[in-house]
Amino acid sequence: MKKKLAFLLAATLLLGVAGCGAKEEPAVKEETPAAVEAPEAEEEESGGADLSGDPIKIGFTTVLTGDRSLEGEYGSNAVALVEEEINAAGGVLGRPIEIVIEDALGTDVGAVNAYRKLAADEDIALIIGSDSSNDNIAISGSVLEAKIPTIAQGSSPKLTAVCDDENPYMFQIRTSDATLCEALVKYAVEEKGLKTFAVIHDTESASSDQARLFTEALAKYDIEPTVVVPFTTGTKDFSSHLVQIQNTQPDAVIAAMFHTEAAIVVQQMRAMGMEMPIFGSNAFGDPITIGLAGEYMNNVFSVTAWVPNTPNEKGAAFSQKYTDTYGVECAQSAAKIYDMVYIACEAIERAGTTDREAVREAMTTIDGYEGAITTYDCRTNGACGRGGLVVEVVDKVPTIREDVYAEKDL
Amino acid sequence: MNIQLLVSGISMGVVYGLIAMGMVLIFRSVGIMNFAQGEFLMFGGYFCYTCNQILHIPIIPSLILASLMMGAVGVLFMRTSYWPLRKAQTKAIIVSAMGASIALKEGARLIWGAIPVSVDKVADGNVNLSGAVIQWQNVAIIGIAAVLMVLVYLLLEKTFIGNIMQATAQDQYMSSLVGVPVIVSIGLTFGVSAMITGIGGGLLAPIFFLNNTMGTVAGAKAFAAIVIGGFGSVPGAIIGGLIVGLVEAFGGAYISTTYQLVLIYVALVLVLMVRPQGIFGEKIQEKA
Repeated sequence: MKKKLAFLLAATLLLGVAGCGAKEEPAVKEETPAAVEAPEAEEEESGGADLSGDPIKIGFTTVLTGDRSLEGEYGSNAVALVEEEINAAGGVLGRPIEIVIEDALGTDVGAVNAYRKLAADEDIALIIGSDSSNDNIAISGSVLEAKIPTIAQGSSPKLTAVCDDENPYMFQIRTSDATLCEALVKYAVEEKGLKTFAVIHDTESASSDQARLFTEALAKYDIEPTVVVPFTTGTKDFSSHLVQIQNTQPDAVIAAMFHTEAAIVVQQMRAMGMEMPIFGSNAFGDPITIGLAGEYMNNVFSVTAWVPNTPNEKGAAFSQKYTDTYGVECAQSAAKIYDMVYIACEAIERAGTTDREAVREAMTTIDGYEGAITTYDCRTNGACGRGGLVVEVVDKVPTIREDVYAEKDL
Repeated sequence: MNIQLLVSGISMGVVYGLIAMGMVLIFRSVGIMNFAQGEFLMFGGYFCYTCNQILHIPIIPSLILASLMMGAVGVLFMRTSYWPLRKAQTKAIIVSAMGASIALKEGARLIWGAIPVSVDKVADGNVNLSGAVIQWQNVAIIGIAAVLMVLVYLLLEKTFIGNIMQATAQDQYMSSLVGVPVIVSIGLTFGVSAMITGIGGGLLAPIFFLNNTMGTVAGAKAFAAIVIGGFGSVPGAIIGGLIVGLVEAFGGAYISTTYQLVLIYVALVLVLMVRPQGIFGEKIQEKA
């Protein structure tokens, strides 16, 4: 009787869970003919992919489990698409590529362990490091030890300094936050004519860093924030934070945080009657945030490297492919991985070999490479991405207001 | 007094109270603190999302269905994480619950993905109250949580099933001797605990959104609520939840937003200094 009861409950739960079936990713991939047929079509276009030899291995550490697994979901989805696309188009050096993924767990210790595991595989030619600047700074020692060319995903100026000054094997394939934050403040002050700003930010390292960059950019206009309101990661109710901002009556709010918090802050601000413009970090222009906060996102500006409706041809094609395959809009977390894998393959192709030292040398010759997001210049290792966008969300669509581009200071 | 902060403090407080009440029911029943209770909140939210956004069922029936599904999850949780270890050391059961917490979080990610999602509001729009703009959803949260608390009180104090649950909580061995089906009683307790916590997830989802880690911080705050209110006390869990919610709201606005969690634990320490057993807790003394 007891066993029957337990079985019945387990079956009920399983049926309920199975009935949910909300995660569309595998189903779409299996059922959408386009996802399967795409490589064949490209194969025909490229005259057929006659690949031979062992695959060229590229390592990729990302957060698959834990608190930051959102990045990993987009990243691993992108990797599946780009691997398929490159192999269908003839691979690299006539060989297929294989991207080996390790879980970085969302912690710097996890990032180091995942990196070291990949580095132990002698067949891996290049590694794409984990999602945050902190993780990439944490792996720097291991990169130097392993002497493997490594693409760093973070965008903080601290990581730029590590890549430029300390670690010749690390390449930051992102546009620096310093460039982007300054551009947004310039737009707010010069184009919108705003004079007073309150700053709200998450206390985790990337957002704190962005808040500092925003504040420094404001200082160039002799503007001091009316109030700076930090909050700890995981905060859900922002009433006490927003009341402080409301009391100082700023013209606009500058915000640096991740997607969920960004959507909650926007929604709670509007619900409290705070209709002033919000100038936010890249998360504020991301489809995830816009999808969550919906109509509350009007009068929200963001500086970002990527929007799904990008005018960049390569980017638009990838964005469409991503949406067709996975049923959701392509976020920056996917687009940046697309560019990183292509740049890795470009370096291997230029090196003509998978020898790690030769690939590192080849990386430094990449200049003016047009990616799906922006143009890349790797003649110095830091801040290889050069461009970004200032966008305004209008009726749930990120609308480009200004192109940002900075020449590299060599 | 700032009405905005008062309402948001109370609405967060009642949610912490719901989670804490669920934890207390389990604690009274089996003497173990369930460290996966926050994940019941998250799972309840996702069940509600499935019914409301995928199956397109209106929000109120979705909340009820999600709550019923959570009842099944609670029983399954008891059967897999507690029952096989009931004769083991307490430490083993706590570790089991912590492991189940990770499994539930990652299970939710596998089923529903990592992209945050939302559900419809029970009540849309805002109300202007003495200059403060309050979301109707917050008012709905307070109202529904209050009704749930009353229902749990009635279940425990006024029904035969409640008496069985209370008897089992007091003495499992004696209860089994007088014919109480202990496993059913404990299963019911876990089920009810998961149901009331899960409904909180569905209520919070439209204003705080759902992701697989949403229960972790809420669970920690609910634990603080239990300590403040008194271990094992249902009214204590509710009052403790309200204290935590209000300290968080007012402390954040007038002292520090960065150290809101610290402020909660300062409040906890202060209460324990005055009443070590918590506000509604009973003093337990070793026999001489």
